[in-house]
Amino acid sequence: MATHVLTPATTAYRSGLYEWLTTTDHKKIGIMYVINSFLFFLIGGFFALGVRAELAQPGLQIFKDEHVYNEFFSIHATVMIFLFIIPMLAGLGNYIVPLQIGAPDMAFPRINALSFWMLPMGGILLLAGFLASGGAAAAGWTSYPPLSEVGPTKSPGSGQDLWILSIILIGTSSILGSINFLVTIFKMRAPGMTLFRMPIMVWTMLVTSVLVLMATPVITSALVMLFIDRNLGGTFFDPFHGGNAVLYQNVFWFYSHPAVYVMVLPAMGIVSEVLPVFSRKPLFGYKAFIFATAGIGALGFSVWAHHMFTTGQVFLPFFSLMTFLIAVPTGVKMFNWCFTMFRGKLTLSTPMIFAIGFLTMFLIGGINGAFSAAVPVDFALHDTYWVVAHLHYVLFGGSVFGVFAGLYYWFPKMTGRLLNEGLGKLHFVLMIVGFNLTFFPMHILGLEGMPRRIADYASDAGWNDLNLAASIGGFIIGISILPFIWNVFISLRTGAIAGDDPWEGNTLEWATSSPPPPYNFDRLPEIRSERPVFDARHPHLRHKPGELADEMGPA
Amino acid sequence: MSSPPRRGLAPEAIVAGGVVVLLVALVAAVFVSGIGQNLYPPDAATSQAKDTRGLYDIVFALAIAIFLAVEGLIIWSIIRYRRKPGDDELPPQTHGNNLVEIIWTVIPTVIVLYLFAISYNTLNTVNAVSDAPDIRVHAVAMQFVWKFEYLDGSGNVMATQTVPYYATTSADCAQASMTNAGCGGMALPVGKKIQITLDSPDVIHAWYVPRFLFKRDVIPGQTNKFEFTIDPGDAGQAFRGQCAELCGTGHRTMLFTVLGLSSPDYDTWLKSLVEITNRTPPPVPSGAATLQLTAQNIQFDKTSLEAPANQPFVIDFKNMDPPGVMHNVQIRQSDGTTVIADQPTIDGGNEAQYQYQGLAPGTYEFICIVHPSIMHGTLTVP
Amino acid sequence: MTSDVATLGHEETGIAGRPVVVQEGHISRGISNPILGMLLFITSEVMFFSGLFAAYFSTRAQNAANGGWPPKAFEHTLNPLSLILVATVILITSSFTCQFAVWSIRRGDRTGFIRNISITFVLGIAFLVLQAYDYSLLFGEGMTMGSGPFGTTYFTLTGFHGAHVFGGVLMLGVILYRGMAGQFSAKHHDAIEAVSLYWHFVDVVWIILFTVLYLL
Repeated sequence: MATHVLTPATTAYRSGLYEWLTTTDHKKIGIMYVINSFLFFLIGGFFALGVRAELAQPGLQIFKDEHVYNEFFSIHATVMIFLFIIPMLAGLGNYIVPLQIGAPDMAFPRINALSFWMLPMGGILLLAGFLASGGAAAAGWTSYPPLSEVGPTKSPGSGQDLWILSIILIGTSSILGSINFLVTIFKMRAPGMTLFRMPIMVWTMLVTSVLVLMATPVITSALVMLFIDRNLGGTFFDPFHGGNAVLYQNVFWFYSHPAVYVMVLPAMGIVSEVLPVFSRKPLFGYKAFIFATAGIGALGFSVWAHHMFTTGQVFLPFFSLMTFLIAVPTGVKMFNWCFTMFRGKLTLSTPMIFAIGFLTMFLIGGINGAFSAAVPVDFALHDTYWVVAHLHYVLFGGSVFGVFAGLYYWFPKMTGRLLNEGLGKLHFVLMIVGFNLTFFPMHILGLEGMPRRIADYASDAGWNDLNLAASIGGFIIGISILPFIWNVFISLRTGAIAGDDPWEGNTLEWATSSPPPPYNFDRLPEIRSERPVFDARHPHLRHKPGELADEMGPA
Repeated sequence: MSSPPRRGLAPEAIVAGGVVVLLVALVAAVFVSGIGQNLYPPDAATSQAKDTRGLYDIVFALAIAIFLAVEGLIIWSIIRYRRKPGDDELPPQTHGNNLVEIIWTVIPTVIVLYLFAISYNTLNTVNAVSDAPDIRVHAVAMQFVWKFEYLDGSGNVMATQTVPYYATTSADCAQASMTNAGCGGMALPVGKKIQITLDSPDVIHAWYVPRFLFKRDVIPGQTNKFEFTIDPGDAGQAFRGQCAELCGTGHRTMLFTVLGLSSPDYDTWLKSLVEITNRTPPPVPSGAATLQLTAQNIQFDKTSLEAPANQPFVIDFKNMDPPGVMHNVQIRQSDGTTVIADQPTIDGGNEAQYQYQGLAPGTYEFICIVHPSIMHGTLTVP
Repeated sequence: MTSDVATLGHEETGIAGRPVVVQEGHISRGISNPILGMLLFITSEVMFFSGLFAAYFSTRAQNAANGGWPPKAFEHTLNPLSLILVATVILITSSFTCQFAVWSIRRGDRTGFIRNISITFVLGIAFLVLQAYDYSLLFGEGMTMGSGPFGTTYFTLTGFHGAHVFGGVLMLGVILYRGMAGQFSAKHHDAIEAVSLYWHFVDVVWIILFTVLYLL
């Protein structure tokens, strides 16, 4: 590599606090996104542990006032969705997309900074609800009216309003970010990098950004209308004054369903980066992958009412059909990943292990989702712990494991240091065991009839043991984070020096130093496929993607 | 291009194998411990539920098959295709295979279309609503009370059963369902077509009975309707039900029971419920001490009351909230647990003369069963 | 090597003797970044208004079936042949003057640009003033945000539109100022193109709003 190598010990610039507060460098902004999102991961986890601590045994042990319990699970989900997973993936994308396309930065660096700083502000607004009279929002992260309207037994007090304002602020941050990503990806690719030579991570960020751009404003409109109902005498959702409670659900889920693809597609992108590198062969079916991703994005807009099957207000056959169909492109991706590993030469480093964790756990989440697509079965399972199991298998078993794969994979690029493999594997083992112990029993609890969002359950319903198991699992998940935090802490100081390309990567970020210089690249290798760095390393094997090929040769 | 034979297991392989064994052990433990059969829904108690259960079984079988196949492929790849240390040769750089892509697009499409077809079929059975059901019940869900109104042929209310409070066990619930002043629920004849209409005056609730494999939202401003027929073999069984849509602080307390009775037993039950519904309250004994208490804005107007010792007394209770908001005055031990005296709930805009037996001197708690966390006070008997 | 290299940089020898492109400068091809960004932003705004329109149509259909739409009390409040028609004509005219301003600057005619954009700016403010006055008339007739679904939907839709007009007026003010400071030329005026796209969007939304609320 003809790049001037900047080793961490001789970094030409030292970043002080002022530099970080005012930076418009996508790499620093990306790192701040990651750190901020991780902090909110811990905060969201705290609320989850509160919920699990209460549910471990029948009887109200901790939350004598059920309202506070309702606040805990409402804020848990809100924090995890809007302040952890979506921004974490946006932040990893922010860091890596310009590097992977050979650009010096994002298209609008100042808007990039603004997008970031709106997040801690939104988080503070949301959590400030706990200080408001009446407490934080307690109508679930879905905040259905009439429960989320004003009234003595509904949601009086400003906690719900703070929730609305915070989501609007965070949503705006997302939308600005999506504009940035789209312009960057369409306009700032290095010469030779056609759309069909972009890394899959970039493709997933592209489709995700289209979803964010088109869907997020719709939830803004729903929340604006709820705010008007609550504070300006509006009657959008008040059924006793000419409004309609189900209208909110339709507008809300029109965003919130595509949102789940926003929460998982970039994680799939990460897995699609990690698997080929650690299998030492290309991603199987690169183009099919892209079409499957675009297909998921498009179909994702047509299934929203499957969250509303039990309202009696939904054209059931259409939404059931579309929900079943979306399993097809998802399956295509799953098979392509499996066949990337098949007949490869796998190195089970920590990023790879987390990527495999994604595959195994997301598969379960996808399968148990199919049950709910069958409408009569959904009549039994909706609003029970089965759904809690499903959503956590896809969002935790899927996205969170994908996030950790990305963090372990790109930490060396970001910091110039390697993370400790032993601690990484300990993290993985604890996390996957804790995760399954927590959420697998919830399938059974849901089938047996345990509804969601209840502070307590009858002592003779037969749910005691499974709830206790789930609560123990939850605390194991909490413990599993500790080796990760410790790992980051010590590796920043004394981790092995990573060098430009510790993993023998395929994509352009590995063609510059670790960490990269502010301008990213001095010079770029020739780009003639989706694996330019691989090609540079193995010039005899260069191939156009999509061709049938079984070529071998000396490396 | 063959690889040199492996010599011993790498440490990562041992860890990987260990995790796999652990996961398999967990899954096995789930099955061996007897809760494996709980990966199925509970036994279906209605004909519609049996159809749903049939659909579930098919989906489940396909799910297990796909799960085993794909997980198996993943785990096998991890074990078989490990890179040996020192092996720097690249594996075959297969980019893809169009035929295979088509195969695993078309076959899953066929499978999901099949699943859609069978679930659409079952849906038509489960969702069917007729013009002439045998029994009509109008279920009203409120914060945090269920009210079941039995309708006659012309849609008029014959009898009302209210379900006011949270029982700690469902056995209590079932036992109390035979009277009007228990956590109760609705009794229904087995083998007959039951039609339930759902309404709410406040927020969204959901009517859910797990053994019926069914729930339906109760949405203010619209009346949902569904039908079912309880299996005749289930006569005498009580099925637990619960609100399944977050409706506020009392969401966890909105339990109810569906009691399946043979037709003669049901007729007897309904007759007694009609009597209870139409019963006029007994006159107030003259000279009894009368306490005044009002409920408004989901609050009692007093948080402390005083009653004379060892004498019957009356609470003149006014519910000044709007219709749809139910209240009552229940007396408990001072620690809030044991119920000393219960009273039926009254709807907003109504008044009741609650009569109580004499109490021994001491301190007691009084609550509204529907809103216990915000409507409570102390009753002192000197 | 492709023509990209010939215009963008020079070739060097990199690792393993493979060619490496060293970039020197860049070509701006196709749509510029700020204008693409504005088009995407407008797309997101279209989706926001779509949510509000969906709520409007759903509310209207439900109420038309139950009690009539408009409700009796407000049957004649939304008369298209009134002040609001004047406001509509003003806003449509301002789109024309805005486009004249764009054509002016594309020709390098700075004076023409400033003249046309000033007129657009004034017309935009006039629209807002007329809208505010119209609101006061409606309040006088008892139609408010809280007077029922008719009022809620009307004021929400027109209110957010007005907020967007206000934002557009601010943007027009900024490019007016920058234009007077001589910051634009025939070759460098991305901000003007972007703002004009936004202004046309705001106008199109009004045409749809006017049609739906007043004519249908």
